[in-house]
Amino acid sequence: MFKHLFKMIWNKKKQNSLLIVEILLSFMVIFGVFSFALNSYNNYAKPMGFNYNHVWAISYNHTLETQNPDSVTLVYQTLLRNIKSMPQVVNAGYHSGNVPFANNHNTTGLTQKGVEVTGINNFFADENYINTMGTTMFSGRWYNKTDPVIKSEVIVVNKMLAEKLFGKADAVGKMLGDNVKTRQRIIGVINDIKTDGDYQRPAYALYNRHDTASYKWMGKILVKVTPDADAAFEGKLYKLMANTFKNSNIEIEHLDNRLVAYNKFTLVPLIILSIVAAFLIINVALGIFGVLWYNINKRRGEIGLRRAVGAPGAAVSLQLVSEAMILATLSLIIGAFFAVQFPLLNVFDLPASVYLFAMLFAVIFIYLLVLVCSLYPGKQAAAIYPAVALHEE
Amino acid sequence: MIRLQNIEKVYRTDTIQTLALNSINLDIEKGEFLSIMGPSGCGKSTLLNIMGLLDMPSKGSINIDSQVTDNFSDKQLAAFRNKKLGFIFQSYHLINDLQVLDNVELPLLYRDTTAKERKQLATEALEKVGLSNRIKHFPTQLSGGQRQRVAIARAIVGRPEIILADEPTGNLDSAMGNEIMDILLQLNRDEGTTIVMVTHDEHMAKKTHRLVRLFDGSQVQ
Repeated sequence: MFKHLFKMIWNKKKQNSLLIVEILLSFMVIFGVFSFALNSYNNYAKPMGFNYNHVWAISYNHTLETQNPDSVTLVYQTLLRNIKSMPQVVNAGYHSGNVPFANNHNTTGLTQKGVEVTGINNFFADENYINTMGTTMFSGRWYNKTDPVIKSEVIVVNKMLAEKLFGKADAVGKMLGDNVKTRQRIIGVINDIKTDGDYQRPAYALYNRHDTASYKWMGKILVKVTPDADAAFEGKLYKLMANTFKNSNIEIEHLDNRLVAYNKFTLVPLIILSIVAAFLIINVALGIFGVLWYNINKRRGEIGLRRAVGAPGAAVSLQLVSEAMILATLSLIIGAFFAVQFPLLNVFDLPASVYLFAMLFAVIFIYLLVLVCSLYPGKQAAAIYPAVALHEE
Repeated sequence: MIRLQNIEKVYRTDTIQTLALNSINLDIEKGEFLSIMGPSGCGKSTLLNIMGLLDMPSKGSINIDSQVTDNFSDKQLAAFRNKKLGFIFQSYHLINDLQVLDNVELPLLYRDTTAKERKQLATEALEKVGLSNRIKHFPTQLSGGQRQRVAIARAIVGRPEIILADEPTGNLDSAMGNEIMDILLQLNRDEGTTIVMVTHDEHMAKKTHRLVRLFDGSQVQ
């Protein structure tokens, strides 16, 4: 019977081509939506890697009048000491402008044994960072007071970058980079953190040691506060910053609020895409329903004939549903050919499993859609009385 | 072979009731070639449809090959039609999207047969009607007479004991009509197939064993 139905569909390929194209386009859009959604979910399911609650990011401009390096260092160290001495402050430290959930990215690249790695987040932080952020080391250690002596010769990398460069081997103690003049010794591997929100995966990251020369351009202070830190405290903190940096733009942002805003960057396109896909799905559903309905009316004679030569009502119904499913299969074969190019060509740099599962879900979705849309017309076809249908013809 | 007892068929709408068949009693013997004649609208095709279990009578009983079919389910009726009955229609009712061979195979699709068996049986049926050289053609590439011969091949491919033909020569010129009639007579003579044929053509009806005339839904001869 399958061969028979396939022959019929093949012989009517011109009439069926529009429906095939429509299902194909729907599959591709749904595949896109599912890929996006699955990737976002996968990222969401991964741990954030740090505790952003009660962490504030203070932005400031370096407006100190003095140019003397010792004086500058003294001001910054005094400021940090004053902040840390506040009862609501758990910990605090300087950080470059690209703090988590900021619209500020600083990326770099490196070559390791001839392999070039690009898009590496380049962070600058002091020894307070790990306790302020509540993150953990995978191996080795974070910077400490002894490091300034050998500053710029040591570096901390994240786990993702360590695995990219050294595989399963422990990266601690290894030299980073091929250039003998600039290469640095890895002293620690920090666990990955999602600096771009819940729905973005962690990226490769380098954590450079902040030194006294970099105070001028660090731009941020991360402050871990106690849960009872309120607006009054925030005002007090603001005042301290404003007194230190005259005429500076001081801004205090809560990382949990930044996260909510940042997540919208991912969710809004997903929602828009889903709405477009929903309209397309409704369109396809109506299209399939309409074509099948039209088929029944156009093929009443054929249906009557099949009933006359021995097809029970259920077989006629099954035939129409099967025809729709075969059409869907043809579309899906073409669609799968295009969809499989995404993992093969590593488009958008997503994991292959995301594409494969998205393909699977999109195939199941299309089959279900076609099945649902063909059931009622199929049932109507089964109810056609053969004598009436044959007489009409 | 076929026994109709007190067959009555009434078509009802909200406001009107039409008596299409009135107390039809008919016995058709095995191997008989019966023709049914009558003016348009007298109930000939309705009677044939009831005999072919394509339509249900409002009253009365149908017995085919010693089986009372009155209480058959849809599935049983379909299986019965498939095995016992072959249909030939005035307008051929071929599926234009299928080649001749596939059209002829159609009844066998609803039986437990292999593709090889289907092809063999369909080829044999087409040989019987002289169309074995047209198996790859589509119905639209054939003449009216050839199409009707394909329809006959489809009717006999399942080797039914009864063939019901509704004006099989109605759309054909006399030469082609005679060709079709000769095939039916040959089937009846050589294979003992019981044939019931509705026709308007007195000349064709005279070639059959017996003639039944209907008028206003009643049997008058």
